[in-house]
Amino acid sequence: MSVWFQNFFKRNGIGLSLFLLIAVFVWVVLMIVLPQLLMLDFSFRFNWHHMNPSKMGGPDDVYTLTHYKFLVYGSPNNPDPFNIVDVTVFFRTILAAIFVTMFDLALCYPIAYYLAQVAKGARARFLVVALIVPFWVNEILRAFAFRILFGEEGSLNSLLLAIGLLDEPVDFIRENVALYAGLGYAYVLLMIFPIYNAVESLDRNQIEAARDLGAGWFRIHRRIVMPFAKPGITSGCTMVFMLTAGALALPQIIGGPSSLWFTQIIYQWFNTGSNWPRGSAYAIVLLISCVVLLLFLMRLFKVRIGEIGR
Amino acid sequence: MRSETILRLSIGFYILLFFGYLFGPLVIMSITAFNSSNFPAVSPWDCLSGEWFGVLVNDDKLMTGLRNSLFIGAGVVIVAVPMGLAGALLLTQLSRRARSVMYMVTISPILVPGVVLGISTLIFWERIDRVLLGTDFFYDGFFLTIIGQATFISAYTMLIFVARLQRFDPLLEEAALDLGASNMQAFRKILLPFLKPAVGSAAVLAFLASFENYNTTVFTIVSESTLTTILASKVRYGINPSISSLAVIIIGLTLFFAVVYELLRRRERSDKEKRLAETAKTNSMTRRHRPMMVPATALVLVAFVAMMGTSWVARGYSTSECKLRVAQEKHKRSEALSQQRISEARAQRAEEQAAKAESPALQANTEGRQYQNIFTPSNLAGQVDSVSSDSNGSSTEAAVDANKAGREYQNIFAPSNLSGQVDSKESSD
Repeated sequence: MSVWFQNFFKRNGIGLSLFLLIAVFVWVVLMIVLPQLLMLDFSFRFNWHHMNPSKMGGPDDVYTLTHYKFLVYGSPNNPDPFNIVDVTVFFRTILAAIFVTMFDLALCYPIAYYLAQVAKGARARFLVVALIVPFWVNEILRAFAFRILFGEEGSLNSLLLAIGLLDEPVDFIRENVALYAGLGYAYVLLMIFPIYNAVESLDRNQIEAARDLGAGWFRIHRRIVMPFAKPGITSGCTMVFMLTAGALALPQIIGGPSSLWFTQIIYQWFNTGSNWPRGSAYAIVLLISCVVLLLFLMRLFKVRIGEIGR
Repeated sequence: MRSETILRLSIGFYILLFFGYLFGPLVIMSITAFNSSNFPAVSPWDCLSGEWFGVLVNDDKLMTGLRNSLFIGAGVVIVAVPMGLAGALLLTQLSRRARSVMYMVTISPILVPGVVLGISTLIFWERIDRVLLGTDFFYDGFFLTIIGQATFISAYTMLIFVARLQRFDPLLEEAALDLGASNMQAFRKILLPFLKPAVGSAAVLAFLASFENYNTTVFTIVSESTLTTILASKVRYGINPSISSLAVIIIGLTLFFAVVYELLRRRERSDKEKRLAETAKTNSMTRRHRPMMVPATALVLVAFVAMMGTSWVARGYSTSECKLRVAQEKHKRSEALSQQRISEARAQRAEEQAAKAESPALQANTEGRQYQNIFTPSNLAGQVDSVSSDSNGSSTEAAVDANKAGREYQNIFAPSNLSGQVDSKESSD
């Protein structure tokens, strides 16, 4: 180790070496690792740790599972066997995130393939620019656009009423149509570009060969393009899933009034609930269950972690 | 080849649909910015108006948020670009195993939900302040937000630098060192110039990512505000088209920069091609790519047509006149509606009274205990009428009607009631 440091300092000179080491130390230790560990620690503490730190170090200062128990069973005088609200919201969030991910994959795969293999030159470049431009607009403003579009007096309703497809306006926001459309929209780029990168490096001769041997387009995609693009597909799905499950702005703005997102519950514990340890516990549960689910899926589809993010 | 045409058509249709999904909401939002109606909508179209831009500029909260956002964005650029650079440079010098560990750790903030990052940053610095130091030096919205955002934005910038470094030829640096350059000189004169374009794009990306971040910011901002948090609270509690006008400005800027960027790129490329052609001493024209020529021309054309159209419409068009007209129309419509409701209610009441007259016992009841049938449908209808109709003369009839039935205190809180009572007093005088 010390040999490594000697070489390192010799190679970079003192000034640059110190800059590199300090910057990376601050980033990795002070900004990534320690805050996460402290949050984990905090989630096992009583709430007076936050509200009244002067009591710290006393005889009552022990670790507790109370916040995790609350998430599963609710408060002690809860008549139900489970904390129905929170548990339902949790599973609904995960399921909805999976649904949005699948939707995005189905939506984006053809576009990514088209951009990578079919479109050429000027047209491909134009389409890529056209893809990126909408995402320079703020996320909140995009949510606002969906609110205008899907509201009860929104443009979609007036259009459908005018055509005569509907007799009465449908509240798309209450039905969560707006939320799913908005979430699917928000992460389109994160799905397209990994798949695009993967498909682009596919040798077109392979496709031609398969076609010459009589394979139909469906078979070509299933047996050649998709297996080749698997790392890209996994990478895109991972990002979309994590971001959807962790979304906060869109559910707040265009989510139905009766359906919460799990992050909104976390937000409430921090904001109005004034119970930071409990919020941390909920956040830990969200983080760990997302990671576990992803690892499980990656094993299922036989993709290694190292292949993601390339 | 028929099936191929069908395939091609369906692909084209799909792409059209896809981009419709991407642009449709933004286009509709942009249109609503020019409608004078208080609620952002395309239909009903009231009047063409630019007043919402004025409302936007005069919105102090939004402007404060914008200033804070710019400040925080600059802070994030200052923190995240050097950090990402340091991370990328260190990565190249580590052993293979250490490299993969560091890569995993530094990339993880991209995948961790922003909410979690915000919470951990908030808790960490709050603990340091209150438990370790006993101050509130770090517990500051700006500091926390810059740190919290830089945690994951540094990972973005690092990825940009890593991609650029992969194309770096280490022999260049070695040559410089052999020729007697110090390490610092080699870094400043060789590596940094090579990384310069990456520094630029990393800075732009870092700023944009910071500018539009919400999930992390909403936890770390504490008592301050940024443009996104202000926008979110505005959008959640009642919306008006001034937000659409903000979107129009942002979309316009985006399109402008996209076109400028493409034009610059194109010039750079054609310069390079020209140089290549000269060195090759060929007079043949190299094929020039003009990918943005069509959309750029289209954009200019659309802008021109829109301007001409607007000025043509604006000729003899006054927003205030139009608004007056629309208000009058609405007034007429609501009046007609209330008239209709009143007559309906009257008809209903007449029917009921006829029914009551048939059974004298019931009538006695109604006279004796006036507050008995407080909740009968006819009674409610009367109240609804008086509430929903405007407080102009015609609507008082409903109230008077209700009063006549002998239940004077029934709709005491109806807005039209006051005038109704005054009316009945006057008539009794």
